[in-house]
Amino acid sequence: MLDLKLEDIDGILVRYNVALEKEMTPDEAAEELYPKDDLIYPVAKAIYEGEEDDVVDALQAAIDAGKKPIALIDDALMVGMGVVTQLYDDGIIFLPNVMMSADAMLAGIEFCKTQTTEIPVQKGKVVCHVAEGDVHDIGKNIVTALLRANGYEVIDLGRDVPVNEVITAVEKEKPMLLTGTALMTTTMYAFKEVNDKLLEKGIKIPFACGGGAVNQDFVSQYELGVYGEEAADASKIADAIVAGTTDITALREKFHKH
Amino acid sequence: MVKKYTSMAYASADELIFGQAKFPVKAGLGLEIGGGYTSPEVNYAPRPGAGASKEKLIKEYERITTDIMARMVQIGAPSVVLETEHVQQMSNNPDWGGAVAHAQKTIMEEYHDEYGIKCALRHTIGDIREDRNFLQLRGDKYNTFIEAFEEVANNGADLLSVESMGGKEVFDYSILRNDTAGMLFGIGVLGSMDMEMIWSDIADIAKKTGTVAAGDTDCAQANTAMFIAGGLLDKNLAHTTAIVARAISAARSLCAYEAGAVGPGKDCGYENVIIKGITGMPMTTEGKTSTCAHSDLMGNLIMECCDLWSNESVEYHGEFGGTTVQCWSETLAYDCSMMNVALKTGKAKDLRDILVLSDKFRDPQGYVLAYDNAYKVGQAIVKDGENNYLRAKNAAIECCNIVEEGAKSGKLRLTRFETNALAKVKADLEALTDDADKFVSDNLTKFKQEVAVFKPENYGL
Ligand code: B12
Repeated sequence: MLDLKLEDIDGILVRYNVALEKEMTPDEAAEELYPKDDLIYPVAKAIYEGEEDDVVDALQAAIDAGKKPIALIDDALMVGMGVVTQLYDDGIIFLPNVMMSADAMLAGIEFCKTQTTEIPVQKGKVVCHVAEGDVHDIGKNIVTALLRANGYEVIDLGRDVPVNEVITAVEKEKPMLLTGTALMTTTMYAFKEVNDKLLEKGIKIPFACGGGAVNQDFVSQYELGVYGEEAADASKIADAIVAGTTDITALREKFHKH
Repeated sequence: MVKKYTSMAYASADELIFGQAKFPVKAGLGLEIGGGYTSPEVNYAPRPGAGASKEKLIKEYERITTDIMARMVQIGAPSVVLETEHVQQMSNNPDWGGAVAHAQKTIMEEYHDEYGIKCALRHTIGDIREDRNFLQLRGDKYNTFIEAFEEVANNGADLLSVESMGGKEVFDYSILRNDTAGMLFGIGVLGSMDMEMIWSDIADIAKKTGTVAAGDTDCAQANTAMFIAGGLLDKNLAHTTAIVARAISAARSLCAYEAGAVGPGKDCGYENVIIKGITGMPMTTEGKTSTCAHSDLMGNLIMECCDLWSNESVEYHGEFGGTTVQCWSETLAYDCSMMNVALKTGKAKDLRDILVLSDKFRDPQGYVLAYDNAYKVGQAIVKDGENNYLRAKNAAIECCNIVEEGAKSGKLRLTRFETNALAKVKADLEALTDDADKFVSDNLTKFKQEVAVFKPENYGL
């Protein structure tokens, strides 16, 4: 078999990921970001490590020491998840870590809820779905996990969701944001229908759309559409709305990259 | 009882070459696949809206077929295969699929009669065996699914394929959580079980109808891993983990050939390199010519031992150079022409090695699929060929070893992240039992709890 000399490889391809890798290990980077409070730190660390049992143990310890369960959701669980999201955004950790942390955080929230009668306040409600006729739901599952991880209440309608079911859910849930995922050029047209039916009913909420087949030009064709390329954009769009950018044109300016 | 592979078809990796298979397949109108030359295999998708009615859809496929055949004749291509991947209407209404196959074959026959161009038609049935929220692998949908094969086989399709989905509910969950045992269970155990069921039925249909049971790909799982892994800078999945999923998928896709399929394996099965080494059957692959459908980090390498060379899929519409199917079929045909010259001039192995080396160190996925390494994965599979679980586990471990050795040589450079992910997968694998029954029962319990949509009855469990 022919072979290449080691020194010849660089002229043929560049492993940019290797060349650009951050010096710091993920654990070190996380350590720098954890909150310093003795009771909060173990919760954040357990979230980063994705260990559900440790999250619950750490929460229990904090509650035993006098912390309020509901306050712990924001002050410990969300902070820990914030560390994870930042590391992901910075390219230091990868998605599976985020998914496992999100699972651990949700287990933590459920635990806090069992320790009190108070009802936690969330950042906002988001309805998510995969377009009618389309069963590709992995991207949507990532979107919902990241939204939840960022403190949003998610109503997940699942995949292959009929247009009318989307409209009914939006009327009922009154979300701040609707998301749609489509991976096929044949199914993404459902987004236009959703858009038109929402407008008919006088509902004007941002409709974030993404998924393999979808592109910015297509999404720009209907009034409520905001295109997002990556799953993480969904929670960034939601954050922008919470921060006061509710106008679709302004959102497009921020998130349309092409 | 199906016969399991316990040895390699080729005595050495070096015998793996494009255009030549140990067991060539005659199909369609004068074609011999793997019989000493490569042919383009063109794949396409109808425009959105074309599926509105049966008539519209047939018209669309007639246009597509005519366009391709005309272009192939215009540029003097000796042979071509057309692959129609069913849109769901065609598999859910088997008579639609049959009608499309008939319309396409009629046109292909006209071209064959007039010009003598060798050609064959592959129909890939959609795996329609699911409800909105659950897989429904057995039951009513299965009957429609099988009927869809019969209809196309009776109406002109020469090669029968599917990208089946067994195990995907467990895999989807596991791949996003770095759950190695789950990957192995989803692909290697559940996927293999489902494959054995459907492919013995498809092989029966092929026998009855005089068509070819061609093969399956693990698109639903191994390609999902590859796409989630993405490009060099994507942060969604370690590429070292993705290639382990691919190695496992070879053990799974092999089940089709054990149950009666004879090749050519379908284009998007990047595991086909490994499978060709084991079975000696012809395979289709796709790479630089499928950039219209996805990016894969091994566009040249994966041509190394193809018998048919594909573009994966392109939506039918106009381009400056003609319709998309004309542009892409032409590109494929010129690639095949280059490979065929290499075969005739005794330079095939050199060309193969050049293709391989241009991508071998680009990514761990290409590194493992380079024929020398792919062959080793094949050997690991056949070592315990009788045991679906063990052979899948062997493939995964061998894959880890290959990547480790590549990294040690200095030529395959890994990020620390990839190195750590690899170490984790390997440690997970080494901690697993060798007892298949125990593995299955442990994971059955685990995934029944963790994955709400996992229904063991889909697998007769
Ligand atoms: C995996 C897969 C499948 C799996 C799906 C498993 C599952 N649970 O999802 C299975 C096997 C079931 C499948 C089936 C089919 N598939 Co398929 N499939 C794929 C494949 C290989 C990968 C898709 C994937 O999961 N990517 C990874 C995820 C993570 O990416 P993603 O969803 O795009 O999400 C990312 C971003 O887009 C973003 N995002 C997603 N949603 C949103 C939303 C918002 C708001 C934001 C901000 C961001 C965002 O976040 C994610 C990460 O950053 C693609 C190939 C390709 N090139 O894409 C084909 C592909 C999508 N499939 C295709 C086809 C044709 C089919 C079938 C019709 C095949 C058949 N004949 O049966 C059926 C469809 C059945 C149906 N009715 O839907 C075609 C579609 C062609 C077209 N018409 O456009 C593709 C493109 C393959 C091809 N090149 O031909 N498929």
